[in-house]
Amino acid sequence: MTPPAIDMSSTTTAATTEDKPKNVGFRVGLGDITPNNLGQLKRLNTVLFPVSYAPDFYKNVLEVGEFAKIIYFNDVCVGAVCCRKEPADGSTTEQNLYIATLGVLAPYRRLGLGSEMLKHILEQANLPVAAGQAKIAKVYMHVQSNNEEALEFYKKHGFEVAEKCENYYSQFEVSDAFKLEKIIN
Amino acid sequence: MRDLPSKEANLFREILKCYELKQYKRGFKGAEQILKKFPEHGETLAMKGLFYNHLDKKDLAYEFVKKGIRHDMKSHICWHVFGLLYRSDKNYEEAAKCYAHALKYDKENIQILRDLSLLQMQMRNLEGYVDTRHILLELRPQNRQYWVAVAIGYQLLGKPELGVKVLATYEETLKDLPSTPDYEHSELLLYHNTLLEEVGDFQEALDHLDTIEKQVCDRKAIKEKRAKYYLALGRLTEAEAAYRDLLALNPDNMAYFEGLGKSLGLGGDLQTDEDEVKILEMFKQLQKEYPRSNAAKRLPLRYATGEAFVKVADEYIRSMLRKGVPSLFVNIKTLYTDSAKQAAVEKLALGFLAALDKSKGFDHSGVVVEPPTAILWTLYFLAQHFDFKRETEQALGYINRAIEHTPTLVELYMAKGRILKHAGDHVAAMEALNEARELDLQDRFINTKCTKYMLRADNMVEAEKTAVLFTRVDIPNPLNDLVDMQTQWFSLEAGESNLRQGQIGRALKRFHQIDKHFNDYTEDQFDFHTYCLRKMTLRAYVSMVRLEDQLRSHPYYVRAAQDAVQCYVRLFDKPDGSESEEMEGMTEAEKKKFRSKQRKAELKAQQEAEDKKKKAAATAAETAKKAGGNAAAAAAAAVKGDEDPEGTKYTKCEDPLGEALKFLQPLQQLAATRIETHLMAFEIYVRKNKLLLALKALLKSIKIDANHATLHEQLVRFALAVQKSSSAKTLKPSVKTVIDKHWSDLYGSHGQDLNAFSAGFIEKTKDQGSVAHVISAAMSVYLIEPSKNLTKAEELLFSVEDETKFGRTRTLENVLLVQKTLKGFKSSRQQEWKEKAKVWFPNTPAFK
Repeated sequence: MTPPAIDMSSTTTAATTEDKPKNVGFRVGLGDITPNNLGQLKRLNTVLFPVSYAPDFYKNVLEVGEFAKIIYFNDVCVGAVCCRKEPADGSTTEQNLYIATLGVLAPYRRLGLGSEMLKHILEQANLPVAAGQAKIAKVYMHVQSNNEEALEFYKKHGFEVAEKCENYYSQFEVSDAFKLEKIIN
Repeated sequence: MRDLPSKEANLFREILKCYELKQYKRGFKGAEQILKKFPEHGETLAMKGLFYNHLDKKDLAYEFVKKGIRHDMKSHICWHVFGLLYRSDKNYEEAAKCYAHALKYDKENIQILRDLSLLQMQMRNLEGYVDTRHILLELRPQNRQYWVAVAIGYQLLGKPELGVKVLATYEETLKDLPSTPDYEHSELLLYHNTLLEEVGDFQEALDHLDTIEKQVCDRKAIKEKRAKYYLALGRLTEAEAAYRDLLALNPDNMAYFEGLGKSLGLGGDLQTDEDEVKILEMFKQLQKEYPRSNAAKRLPLRYATGEAFVKVADEYIRSMLRKGVPSLFVNIKTLYTDSAKQAAVEKLALGFLAALDKSKGFDHSGVVVEPPTAILWTLYFLAQHFDFKRETEQALGYINRAIEHTPTLVELYMAKGRILKHAGDHVAAMEALNEARELDLQDRFINTKCTKYMLRADNMVEAEKTAVLFTRVDIPNPLNDLVDMQTQWFSLEAGESNLRQGQIGRALKRFHQIDKHFNDYTEDQFDFHTYCLRKMTLRAYVSMVRLEDQLRSHPYYVRAAQDAVQCYVRLFDKPDGSESEEMEGMTEAEKKKFRSKQRKAELKAQQEAEDKKKKAAATAAETAKKAGGNAAAAAAAAVKGDEDPEGTKYTKCEDPLGEALKFLQPLQQLAATRIETHLMAFEIYVRKNKLLLALKALLKSIKIDANHATLHEQLVRFALAVQKSSSAKTLKPSVKTVIDKHWSDLYGSHGQDLNAFSAGFIEKTKDQGSVAHVISAAMSVYLIEPSKNLTKAEELLFSVEDETKFGRTRTLENVLLVQKTLKGFKSSRQQEWKEKAKVWFPNTPAFK
C-alpha cells in the first residue's frame, strides 16, 4: 500500500546557506490502520510506550477510522496516533476525543512528523458531522508531568493545561500527569 | 463409410457431426439407433465406443472400439477412432500406429494425416513429421499452414536452409500481397527472416529485412534484428547508429547497451585500461542523455575496475541508500565474483556507516544531512554483505542494530531470518520470518517465505496453516489448491522436510507430484501444435518447442529427482521404510517407545484433519448447492479425499532402483554437466551391482570435479565392491578387463592400496576446512577396515571442531552431519560430540 505522499523537501531544503548543512528531502504520508498492518502498530507501541495495551485498545483502533493513523517516512512506518471517542458529560449531541497515544520512533523525531499527525487529528475533529451524529467538543490527553518536550509540543498546537492529575501514572516513579485540552469550535 | 441404406447413412453422418460438436449424448443415441437395425456395423460400433469414452466409461469404450475393428478391419474410420481413443489416454505410440493403419485404407485423408502429424510433433518424431506434412502440402498446396509446417519441421530437424526454400517458394505463389499490414503475414515474414539468421547468412538476412520491412507490424523486431546483423557483419558505424536508435526507444534494456558497446569495439571479455576509460566515458554521455535510465547508472559498475570502480560504486550505492532501495544488495552482489570489487564495496559501506554515525552524511564533509532512513538501509546492506561472507556474528550485529533503529521494517526480519538460516538455526530463522509476516499480513511474498522457513524447520503443521492463508478458501481441502496451482516450491520443500523426518512415502508422493507437473507441461504443448500454426505465431512456437525439450533441466525438477533417487535408494537399503533417521542406533525398547509416540501424534493430526474436512465439506456442500448438481458431485469426490496419505503405494514398490532410474534418466540427458547426476547414477548402479555403469558414472564425475567430497567416498566403495565381487568369483573377465583399464584413472598410482589412496585425499584437502570432505574421508577410512580404522575415522570427524580456524562459520547442518556419521559408526564418542554441540548450539533440541 502506498501512503499518500506529502513532499517535505520544499520546507526542509529552503534554508540552504553556504555553511549550513543541507537536508536531503524526504516523503511523509499517513496511512490507515488495518487488521493486516496492526502488527506494525503493536510493534511501535511496544517500543515507544512503557505501557502494554489491552486487546480492546486495538479493537477500538480499527473502528475509529481517521482518528487512528500510522505515519510513513520514505515509505517506512515510523510512528502512529490513536484516539478514542468518549461521550461528553451529560450531552447527546457532543463527544470528546481522547488521544491515547501519539509517538514517533526516536531516529525520526524533530522532523515534523508528530505535528503532521496532530494536525490531521485536529482537522478531522473539526469536520462537520452528519445529522444525528455527535460532534466533537474537545480534544484532550494526559502527559506525564516531567515530559517537558511533550508539554511544549501540545502547547505549540494550542492545547492548554486543564488540570493536574496526581498519581495518574501510579506505576511510574513520576506519577503525576497534566491533562491538556483544546476546545473545538 | 459403407454398407448402410440411405436413412442410416444420413444418421451416421449426423453422429460424426455430433462428435465434432461435442454433443456426445446425442451422438450416442444416434449410434444406438443404427445398431438396433445393424448390430454388426463396425464403424457405428467404434463410434459408440468413442462416445462412451467421452461419457466416462473407459472399459466400455475400448470394448466397443475393438469390437468395431473386428467387424470392419479395413475401415479407416474404425482405426482413426481407435487412435483417438489412445490419444485421449495419452498413449501416443499406440495412437500413431492406429493412424498409420487408418491411412493404409485412406491414403489421402486430411484429418487423419493432420492428427498423425500432431502426434509426431508431440513425440518429436521430426522425420515422420516432415514426411506427413509433405503429403499434406501436396494435397492442399493453396493452404498457408501446410507450407509453414514443413518449414518448421525442417528447422527443428536442424535444416533451416530447407525451411527457407519452402517459405520462399510459398511467397512466390502469392499474387497480391496484403495492402494493409496484416499481422499473420507479418509474423510469417519475420519467421522467414529468423530462419535466414539461423542459417547464419547475415547479409542475406539483412537484405531480406529491407524487402519485408514495409509489411511487418513488429517494428521493434526489425530494429533489433537489423542492429544485430550489422554487428555480426562488422558494419560497426551502422550498428552503433542502430543501437543508439534502440536506446532512444528503451534506455533500460541492458542488451542495447551491450550492443552499443560492442559496436564501439568495447566491453569484450579482455578489456584494456584504455577501453575501460572509453566505455566509462560512453556511459557518462548516456547518463546525461537518459538521466532516468537505471541501466546507464548500473552498467558502469560492471566495466569499471580499481579506482574508477570505487568512484562509480560510491556514487551509485550512495544514491540507492539515500532513496531506500531494498533490493540494492541483490543487485550489487553479482559484482562479488570479483573479490577486489567485493572488498571495495565493503570498505565503502563501512565508511558510509561511520560517517552517518558521526556527521549524519555519507561522508564527513558536513555538506549534506541524510534522512534517518539512510543509516537504516546502510545497516541493512552491511548485514547482507557480511551474511554473504558467512560472517554470522557481524551480520547479526548489523541487523540487530537496524531493528533497534526501526523495528517496524519487514525486510529487516527477513534478512535476520536468512542470516540465521545460513548459520543452520532453522527454528530461530522461522521465528524471525514469522515476526516479519505478522507485521504485514497481506503480503503474499512474506507469507510464502515464512511458510518455506517453517518447512525448513520441519514444522509441517504451522507451514500448512500459514500456506492456506493465501489459497482458495471455497474448496474442501485448501491445501489441494497448492497442487492445482502447481506450487512446486511447496511440494519440494515439504517433500524434503518429509525426507529429513524419515517419512519416505510422504516425501515420494510429493516428488512424484512434481514429476507429474512436468508431465503436464509436456502435455500442455499439444494444443499449440495446431493453435500456433493457425495464428502464425511461429517464432514464439519454435521457442516454446525448444523450451519443452529442455524442460526437465529446470532446477525444481533436478532437485526433486535427486531427492526421489535418495528416497528410493533408502527404500532399497531398508525395504520396510519405517526406520527414520532419528531411530538409527536406538535400542528395540527405545524404538518401540518412539513409534508409539509417533503414532499418537499421527492420530491427533488425523483427528484434526478429519474435523477440518467435515467443516470444509459442509461449506463446500453449501456452495455446491448454489452452483448445482455437477459441482455437488465434484465436491463429494473431493471430500472423500486422499486414500493414501502415507504414500504406501511408493514405499511398497517392487523395484525401487528401477523407479529411481526413471527420475534419473532425464537428468543424464539434460543435466549431464552436473556432478550430482553422476553421483546419483553411481548410487543406483552400485546397488544393482552394475559395475561397468557405476564405473562410467565415476569417470564422468571425475571429469567434472575430481576433488568432490562425495566422489571420494564413492571411489572407495567402488573398489570395495570390485574386491568383493572378485573374491566371490562373480566378476566376469570381460568386465574386469574394462575396470582394470580405467583403474589408474580412478585411483592414480595407488593401485589396490585404499588406505594410501584415502591418506592422499586427506592430505590434499586438509587445508580446505571443508566439513563435507572430512566426513567423506572419515566414511572412506571406516569402510576400508571398520574395526581397525574406527579410531582414525573418529579423529577425523572430531577435527571438524577446528573448522572455524579456516575462517568458516560453524553450521548446525555440519555439526548434525558429524553426529549422524558417528552414530553410523556406532562410535563410543557420540556423547562427547553432543556435549560440544550443546555449547555451540544451545537452542537445538537434538543436543538437549
